[in-house]
Amino acid sequence: MEPIIEVRNLVKRFHSRGREITAVNDVSFDVFKGEIFGMIGPNGAGKSTTFSVLTTLLKPTKGSVKVAGFDVEKEDDRIRPIIGIVPQKLSLYPLLTARENLELMGNLYNVPKKIMEERIDYYLKLVGLEASADRFTGGFSGGMKQRLSVISAVIHDPEILFWDEPSTGLDPQTRNVIWKLAKKFNGEGKTLIFTTHYMEEADNLCDRVAVMDLGKMVALDDPERLKENTGSTNLEEVFVHFTGAEVRD
Amino acid sequence: MTIVTELTDSLIIAKKEFKILSRKKALLIPLILFPIIMIVFFGYGMGGTVKEAPILIINDDTGRASSSLVQEIGSYTAKYDGSPMFSVTYTKDMSQSEAESKIDAGMYKGVLIIPPDYSDNVAKNENMTLTLLTDSSDVTTSSVIINFMRQLLAKAGSITLNVPNIYGNLEYLDFLIPGVIALTVFMGSVATTGSAIAGEKEDGTLVRMLMTPVSKRSVILGKTIYQLILQLGRAVILILAAYFLLGFNMNGSWLLVSLVLVIFTLGGVGMGIVMSTMVEDMESFFQLNMLVTMPAMFVTGVFFPLSSVPDWMRYIAYCLPLTYAIDAMRTIMIKGQGLNAVSTDLIILSLFAIITFTAGVHLFRREA
Repeated sequence: MEPIIEVRNLVKRFHSRGREITAVNDVSFDVFKGEIFGMIGPNGAGKSTTFSVLTTLLKPTKGSVKVAGFDVEKEDDRIRPIIGIVPQKLSLYPLLTARENLELMGNLYNVPKKIMEERIDYYLKLVGLEASADRFTGGFSGGMKQRLSVISAVIHDPEILFWDEPSTGLDPQTRNVIWKLAKKFNGEGKTLIFTTHYMEEADNLCDRVAVMDLGKMVALDDPERLKENTGSTNLEEVFVHFTGAEVRD
Repeated sequence: MTIVTELTDSLIIAKKEFKILSRKKALLIPLILFPIIMIVFFGYGMGGTVKEAPILIINDDTGRASSSLVQEIGSYTAKYDGSPMFSVTYTKDMSQSEAESKIDAGMYKGVLIIPPDYSDNVAKNENMTLTLLTDSSDVTTSSVIINFMRQLLAKAGSITLNVPNIYGNLEYLDFLIPGVIALTVFMGSVATTGSAIAGEKEDGTLVRMLMTPVSKRSVILGKTIYQLILQLGRAVILILAAYFLLGFNMNGSWLLVSLVLVIFTLGGVGMGIVMSTMVEDMESFFQLNMLVTMPAMFVTGVFFPLSSVPDWMRYIAYCLPLTYAIDAMRTIMIKGQGLNAVSTDLIILSLFAIITFTAGVHLFRREA
């Protein structure tokens, strides 16, 4: 299988009030083209930091990271156009309508106007927001925002889709829609990378799951094999097996 | 990333800012009305004009021209108020020193002395000088009187007004408006830039924007273009309002005023960016904003001339860029001076813009 993301000995340190924090400590892995890759781990495990490095928001302290063959440090402007990001904090302009939010994203990704209009109509319909297209997103429910946020991340038809905690705080119906969307995008050939706190989600969706803890990647395999190897019946047990039962800060 | 795409991107961002602004009705109204309300209230309240000011006319001339002048002064009514501007007392054969003593005693705010040859000279269209004494302890009233007399006499013929012992021909509004414009642009550019960025930080849209292929430069440039248009627009509205509502006259070059405002807006935007990088949300931004803009408002001589404040206050004022912007605006708008007269101000304002902008861009990059 062809790797689309190559992470080698990634280290990311932060300096905060005189203290040095190593958020990601010597992590190496590949993500293969066309797979759904999940990252699980307790709070503070380093998932979000890894995510930020992969999406070019943070520069690595050490190590090398290549996305679609481009170096995140030197060629970040080649990476940004081909990745889509659904941030954990849904970031829509509340005083723009759903359509205007999508148009803004389309424009910033330089999508030709005609194609953009077609995609906007198509996606709004796909996620059932066509009736709310011209409403300000400030009045949207959490589920509506999540759906809009997802389609605004794919308006430029990215090769890789980064998705930070897709279904946190959503009702089961919306979660279902989100999962279907993920499968659909993956079926179209996009590579998907998730972080999640829901083991069920990781189990359902992901081809491979990476378990992170304390800045290290402690396991990486497909969900079935992870369960087998640890003698667990579900990913929840796998999770506890690798990361312990203690609450993290 | 070419310059063209950066520019296109920044225009997309500027357009977005305007779209959002147009929907913030609650912000839009004060943004435009605030400065107008300020000049109207301060302008009227602090005596932009004068009502029934007691003046004395010593008319030693008996001709037609002087009696029509006297009548015009007596019947002059301020354009926005029903009452006459002056309450006039007439006399003749009074010496200047006697007239001065009456002003000292507070009986009159002004005394106009019309010489015996006034009508003759007007008829012959000859140059002459009239003497106007005013109570310069009451700056506002005396300046209004002087200004009014100047206009009136300019119509009557080639008459110069000799105004002994007074400090200028400023009307308070003339003094106030350039300062209010500078203040408005300063407060506006700092507050709207900073609060918008703080707000976008709070709701995550800023980070989202930085995840796109758009460069940080474009983001800042877009916001700057938006601010330049917005602040210049506000200044124009303010000048027009002052013109139509209060009869303010612009004596200097619009181009030069724009230049000052553009440079000053850049500084304000830079300052807003710097301040926004120090906070995490809107609320903290507004607290910080208060701390920065409020003292500037009262120390820099928007409302009173710096010549009338104690030294320590003046030294503080000299440390604040707003002081130089106000000075430049007054020099251009009232005195009608050109580039030379404001070059020092412009250099200081440019330095302010360069420093804050560089710091802003630097901090903004490190930030996100």
